[in-house]
Amino acid sequence: MSRYWFLMVGGLVLLIMILAPWAVPLREFDGTGYLLNPLGVMNPKGLTLPQGLTFNWLGVAFGLWILLLLAASAALFVPNAETRARVLYILGGVGIAIFAIEALLFYQAISAVNDAAVAAGARRPPLRRFALSLGIYAGFFYSLGLLLLARMQLPGGLAFLVRFRGVVVPIVSLLLAVVLGAVVVAILRPGLGTQGVEGLGLRELIAGKLDLVTYTFQILFSPILNVTGIFTSLGFATPLIFTGLAVAFGFRAGMFNIGAPGQLTMGALFAMLVGVYLPLPGWLLLPAAIAAAALGGALWGGIVGWLKARFGANEVINTIMMNYIAASVLLFMIAANEYRFFGQTVRLPFKAEGFEGRSEEMQEGARIPLMINIIAPNGTFSWALPLAVIASLGVYYALRRLELGRRLLFSLGALVLGFVVGGFLPGFPVTISSALASQLLNGSFLIAILALLFYNFYLFRTSAGYELRATGLAPKAAEYAGVNLRRKMILAMVISGALAGLAATHYVLGAGMDGTYRLKTAIPSSVGFDGIAVALMGQNMPLGIFLSATLFGVLLAGGVSLNAQLGISNQIIQVLQALIILFIAVGGLLPRYFTDPLRAAQIETEARAEQETRQAKSAPAAGD
Amino acid sequence: MEIVIALFFSTLRQAAPLLLTSLGGLFSERSGVVNIALEGMILFGAAAAAITVNRIEVATGGLEAFWIPWVGLLAGATVGGLVGLVHAIASIKYRADQIVSGTAINIAALGAPSIVLQVLYNNTSTSQEVQNRLPNVDLGPSSVSILVIFAFLLVPVVWWVLFKTPWGLRLRAVGEHPEAAETMGVNVIRMRYTAVILSGVLAGIAGAYLSIGFLNQFIRAMSAGAGFIALAALIFGKWHPFGVLGATLLFGFAQALAIQLQGGDILPATIVQALPFILTMLVLAGFIGRSRPPAAVGKPYDK
Repeated sequence: MSRYWFLMVGGLVLLIMILAPWAVPLREFDGTGYLLNPLGVMNPKGLTLPQGLTFNWLGVAFGLWILLLLAASAALFVPNAETRARVLYILGGVGIAIFAIEALLFYQAISAVNDAAVAAGARRPPLRRFALSLGIYAGFFYSLGLLLLARMQLPGGLAFLVRFRGVVVPIVSLLLAVVLGAVVVAILRPGLGTQGVEGLGLRELIAGKLDLVTYTFQILFSPILNVTGIFTSLGFATPLIFTGLAVAFGFRAGMFNIGAPGQLTMGALFAMLVGVYLPLPGWLLLPAAIAAAALGGALWGGIVGWLKARFGANEVINTIMMNYIAASVLLFMIAANEYRFFGQTVRLPFKAEGFEGRSEEMQEGARIPLMINIIAPNGTFSWALPLAVIASLGVYYALRRLELGRRLLFSLGALVLGFVVGGFLPGFPVTISSALASQLLNGSFLIAILALLFYNFYLFRTSAGYELRATGLAPKAAEYAGVNLRRKMILAMVISGALAGLAATHYVLGAGMDGTYRLKTAIPSSVGFDGIAVALMGQNMPLGIFLSATLFGVLLAGGVSLNAQLGISNQIIQVLQALIILFIAVGGLLPRYFTDPLRAAQIETEARAEQETRQAKSAPAAGD
Repeated sequence: MEIVIALFFSTLRQAAPLLLTSLGGLFSERSGVVNIALEGMILFGAAAAAITVNRIEVATGGLEAFWIPWVGLLAGATVGGLVGLVHAIASIKYRADQIVSGTAINIAALGAPSIVLQVLYNNTSTSQEVQNRLPNVDLGPSSVSILVIFAFLLVPVVWWVLFKTPWGLRLRAVGEHPEAAETMGVNVIRMRYTAVILSGVLAGIAGAYLSIGFLNQFIRAMSAGAGFIALAALIFGKWHPFGVLGATLLFGFAQALAIQLQGGDILPATIVQALPFILTMLVLAGFIGRSRPPAAVGKPYDK
């Protein structure tokens, strides 16, 4: 059965290779491109390439891919499983090699032309926005599929996949969401370069659509290609890490916290009150403001936890209600100065002068510096951060024999010491482009990393965290073992809320919204909902949360240029998030042994038993 | 006196979408499927209705005809039903966590309409205003949309269906004890599919009311929590049609009051707007009467 599925996949790959562009050496800002395909160039808008640039090797590559597809299809019918696996491994490796050579040839040809033109005095390189395209990617992914299929042929192949279900389910869900998102884009927008052009054949139209969806996702993922893009992405990712952790913490304790938006808002409000008004010495003000952000969120989450513990009130509905109440409180505080209560006028001092609903500016001491100013203050690279990281990691791994609490304490000490000592070391000057200097990634990213570490150590290395996870997995068993369920409920919501509240450090104390150190009514509290996608995608694991928050950060950063270039709303990222949540909820449409732990364990046990009998059989043979 | 009459009609107008959505949610939850996606279904329905009407108007060159808003209503109901189908497939066929699946739909409902609006109208937050709105019914001092009348007439119908027909009995049985219902020959899966799709249809109609009955265009996130308040009304109304009627009237009254107080000098509107949400939390905590959900609600059914 699965064999015929893979034959169909092979056919689909061939079809894509025939129809889709393989590479685009030149593309205009609006997306119109010069599309290369082994069966002929597609160029409806009539762009011209520089003289002497040819891609004749595409035909050869196409021939190789056809041979590879045929060989792989034939290999599926080799009777001996081990031979079959070996052949598939080799074919997969060959496919990846072909892909690498294609990429090398393409980028070499492009850069040769561009370098020559620039050397000859051209103002800008003649080839822009060049990239490989769907036809070549299809071969690459097919080769990866072959490698995976080879592993599946060997004994325990399925158990191998099931064991890594924590990775398999999110990745499959991401792929499904991307495919569905691509379909949506292809339906809504005309193909690139085909709009308003007369007399196009079906092939050109299909190629235009395929080019559109490929370019859409190329733009979305493009921020990872340069430092500025990575800074933007991490800036978008910072609040997502906090809210992702908040939702994940709730999930781990068996609570569904949809209240991160409200908790974030209250954190922002508390941080603003401390940051603007509290007269504290400079060194104490920032820690106090950060703590206030956590406190605001903790309070808003804690109320819900208490209502559940005391009255059994469902936390899902309550957190949603608290979101709306928090939004009202925020508006009440900073949208206007004057209110009328039963005919009497009440004045609030919090709203700053002006049309916009915003607070006064933070005091100097309550501002979190931009990341670029931490890494390289005044254009001089500082050793503070690298040394702090190296010192704390070194101490952590050197003191392996100590108990965890002391180990962490010493690491923290080394972190601070490293930061101070590194700050005095002479740095070296670095040039920072103006684009990089204007990135809003700030020190709250480091707080997010600390929050990730806290999540990791608290939940997985302490007995209190163990009790919390036990409460989430099996509340009755936990209670029988002596865990106070009610107290755990409140605690879980307090910590979860605090984590969400800390996201406000990015927006308010770090000026992550628009570069001004104020709280505004426009604070994007809906990142609290995005945290649900982050937590699910990251499977509630610390590393997973970091990676999925970064992924969404990259997409959000890419969404800005997507809007500018192709006129597709960056709300597509919201839809992708929703689709990812939905697909993870249905287990990536995979069989049930990927989502049900009991069934997964059954598959793994069976595979192990099979392996043992195999070894028992082969052992006497070896002894003869 | 004038203020009282205005408040009365305003309450009816505010309560109608809550009531429609809540009655839809009633079917879903009585069958054992939590439907937190009501909010999203309203938005999808509202967008579909407004965009359909506007497209017909553009295609016919600004035609004004009695059938156009009804086609829009049909579109809203259909899209709501389709979103309901998605929720049903996820939570019934794939046994997904019903709250996660519902949240996904709610998030999609914030983003998906914007993408379509961007393509059609080159902005992400509003559709063009429509000329053909659903007709109003004159009720003496004021007039209300025909869907308001429909919403209130629906209450006894839903009561009769749920409590006086065999289908209603089966539906309630499926939500209380699906295994027992199955042994009595009830098709649990089909009952649940029907109920969830029905809730989507009614929420879609509520959305159509918002965009082409109450207003004349779609605005991003225009439901402003109506789906969640409807859910709260369901709890407040103890999963009973007449209870739901009372709860939605109360919440509708709070919203009408907030509008009346806007610009007045009794209470700031931002505070009054938060009242329904605070009220819901008090109800949930049991300060204003306990309510017990259907026993099997939220649990995936495994044969």
